[in-house]
Amino acid sequence: MAFLELEKVSFTYPGAAAPAIRELSFSVEEGELIVLTGATGSGKSTLLRLLKRELAPRGERRGVIRLGGADMESLPPREAAFSVGYVLQRPEEQIVTDKVWHELCFGLENMGLPREEIARRVAETASYFGIESWYELPVCQLSGGQKQLLNLAAVMAMQPRLLLLDEPTAQLDPIAAADLIATIHRLNRDMGLTVLVIEHRLEELLPLCHRALVLREGQLLGCDSPARAAALMASDPRLAESLPSAARMHHLLGLTGECPLSVSQGRQLVQRWMETVPLHAAGAETGAAVSPTGGKGALPPALELKQVYFRYERTAQDVLRGVSLRAAQGEILCLLGGNGSGKSTLLGAAAGLRRVQHGQVRIFGQKLSQYKGQSLYRECVALLPQDVETLFLCDTVREELARTGADLSCLPFDLTLLPDRHPYDLSGGEKQLLALAMVLAQKPRLLLMDEPTKGLDACAKKQYAQALKALRVQGTAIVIVTHDAVFAADCADRCLLLFRGQVAAEDAPGVFFGTNLFYTTPISRMTRGLLPGCVTVEEAAARLGKASSAARKEGGV
Amino acid sequence: MQGFTERNPISVAVYFLAAAGVAMFSMDPVLLAVSLCGAVGLFLLLDGLGSLRSHLWMLGLFLLSAVINPLTYHNGRTVLLVVNHNPITLEACLYGLAAAGMIVATLYWFRSFSRIMTGDRLLYLLGGLSPGLALVISMALRYVPLYGRQWRRVEETQRTLGLYREENAVDTLRGKARVFSAMTTWALENGVITADSMAARGYGTGRRTHFTLFRFRADDILLLVLSLVLAGVSLWGAAGRTVQYYPVFCLSPLTGRALAGYLAYGALVLLPLILQTKEAIAWHFWSWKK
Repeated sequence: MAFLELEKVSFTYPGAAAPAIRELSFSVEEGELIVLTGATGSGKSTLLRLLKRELAPRGERRGVIRLGGADMESLPPREAAFSVGYVLQRPEEQIVTDKVWHELCFGLENMGLPREEIARRVAETASYFGIESWYELPVCQLSGGQKQLLNLAAVMAMQPRLLLLDEPTAQLDPIAAADLIATIHRLNRDMGLTVLVIEHRLEELLPLCHRALVLREGQLLGCDSPARAAALMASDPRLAESLPSAARMHHLLGLTGECPLSVSQGRQLVQRWMETVPLHAAGAETGAAVSPTGGKGALPPALELKQVYFRYERTAQDVLRGVSLRAAQGEILCLLGGNGSGKSTLLGAAAGLRRVQHGQVRIFGQKLSQYKGQSLYRECVALLPQDVETLFLCDTVREELARTGADLSCLPFDLTLLPDRHPYDLSGGEKQLLALAMVLAQKPRLLLMDEPTKGLDACAKKQYAQALKALRVQGTAIVIVTHDAVFAADCADRCLLLFRGQVAAEDAPGVFFGTNLFYTTPISRMTRGLLPGCVTVEEAAARLGKASSAARKEGGV
Repeated sequence: MQGFTERNPISVAVYFLAAAGVAMFSMDPVLLAVSLCGAVGLFLLLDGLGSLRSHLWMLGLFLLSAVINPLTYHNGRTVLLVVNHNPITLEACLYGLAAAGMIVATLYWFRSFSRIMTGDRLLYLLGGLSPGLALVISMALRYVPLYGRQWRRVEETQRTLGLYREENAVDTLRGKARVFSAMTTWALENGVITADSMAARGYGTGRRTHFTLFRFRADDILLLVLSLVLAGVSLWGAAGRTVQYYPVFCLSPLTGRALAGYLAYGALVLLPLILQTKEAIAWHFWSWKK
């Protein structure tokens, strides 16, 4: 008997014409780690919420969900609440109390456990998740990654039998995301915990999971082993983009057979491929890693920072310690770096929100102080903030667009936003797009963006990069703070690594990611030493493909 | 382990209530002097000699309160001097000194109290009265600063978006009003997610336990009982000696009972010092033996 069983489950939201979930049947064995994936609006979150009784959306539901053989509806409230753990997408909002220790024991207090039992479980959980050193801190001092780890730990302290996670890494930087995924994997492996997780970031998770469940328009497209699910997803262009780099390269090369998923498998593929073709044929292509810079030296600068120092308080440490950089008109500049390296502060300084203590910030050759009143923000500089919700003031998308004079049709997206929706009710990706439209309505010549790809799926990211490239052609300078190496490799002209408030490295993406060992793309890791300077999937596939066709030609002669 | 500051917050709170309370209900100059010395001493023990400026402020406050009484109140037999046809009397001066001592001593007791009672400890005290209220306050303590931070972020973003178009008061006010309304929506939206998170973790499914970081150990009970007993003896002793400031300052003769009261209060005031020193000595012994 299966641990979790769905039998012809359908769900329709009130007032909706079509059901969000249609006749879904599948079963999960105990101890499985299952990834739930599908395009935006495919019903992933609805399905996951249906599995958690307290969070089940209101609407018309049919079919039966069984947990451990018993109908979920018939479970007593306490058992239902505590046997299924649920972690939401945004780390901040699901925290209830002010201190880490209190948050850990919140669920245990709700269970009505005796004091000694709570003390024991809190102690165990805190040490397992490595929370001991920040156990007594207030939650507002934690980083996003720590907050999400705390949320997971607080749920795990209640010892649920089934763990559900709704895009737990969407709001995290890649390093924190990888940590969280490793923790989830460890829970599954060490404790035999059954886990269902919705994830866009399949790069790390797909190689680890037992099965992947692919949804399309509320229907089950397939529920199969990762490699076979990857083959299935490759047939759908929207889903194919979100596959791990190795799998995408595999499909772009037109290969059949077992699909590689992890970086090491991808590397083996590249090695095998190159063994079959003469080395000089592939080696001849090393010059391909030239980035498409539009002659950045020649163009006048849009943003210049010279020896900028900034600190928030007199006694605090400098956040920016002598940063100098230059972004030319018609150039996309990507700033990468860890948490606390000063990336967002730098954007704030460029946007005139933080007055720097030393050094100069010049925008189009003029000092910030020469822009009087609001003239800086009129057809000059625009800032896309990290938290795009801070942009929204109105109750509907329509009002928001009218207020800023934004036009959605200027963006190359096939997405139509419902005009009468509240901006907060949009999905993470839709929010980002609305925000982009609003910011672009200012007709900026210098666009500053803070983590624009947070919450976007791979397909939307691709389109987003297209939109930025179109802006670049018009001569807009774009400075992007991002953690997303794949995105930066795709659209940047130059990449900068910021470390402790200073620029530690600066190069074209091909050289930058080709040299970096950690801050780099999966493809760069797969092709290191084999195809120098190769950082994107398309590039790798093109160069390998060319090499093989060249070899074939030679063989033919 | 620290001897006094890390005792159970209930014991510590009772101690402060006893130490400050005795001095607040008596105008006995001896008790007040002991209380003042003890309060300042304890604060110095906790804080070191760092915040000199705050001590100067306190000294100023002491002098001011001591001076105000004789300048405004002219009762008393012994006239020291006459200012603007108003007599300044010895009795009023003494009363002023005693009152100033009481005020400053109480302030110092509270300063020490607030140094020891961090958020978690206060919440523990509150949770003893009402666990539900403690949870609400804990949520508010997280939420209020969060709201403030979000407010500042929204203001900054809107500024770059050109919300405050011109630098005039009407526009600024209108902008602030819009930000406020957006923040209300944000707060509600946030609240819904928090409520989801609470429901998902079984809030409201039955009786809750109230978990705390602190427990009662033998030392805590000892401190609690000692505080109450010593305070009781001090009050009993103080009641055995009458103090009169007007029209003539008069203190009834020292009896055994009053002496016992003084000694008990002295012991009470020195209790934290004794407990902290005991731990310090214990530490030295431990490190010698190593």
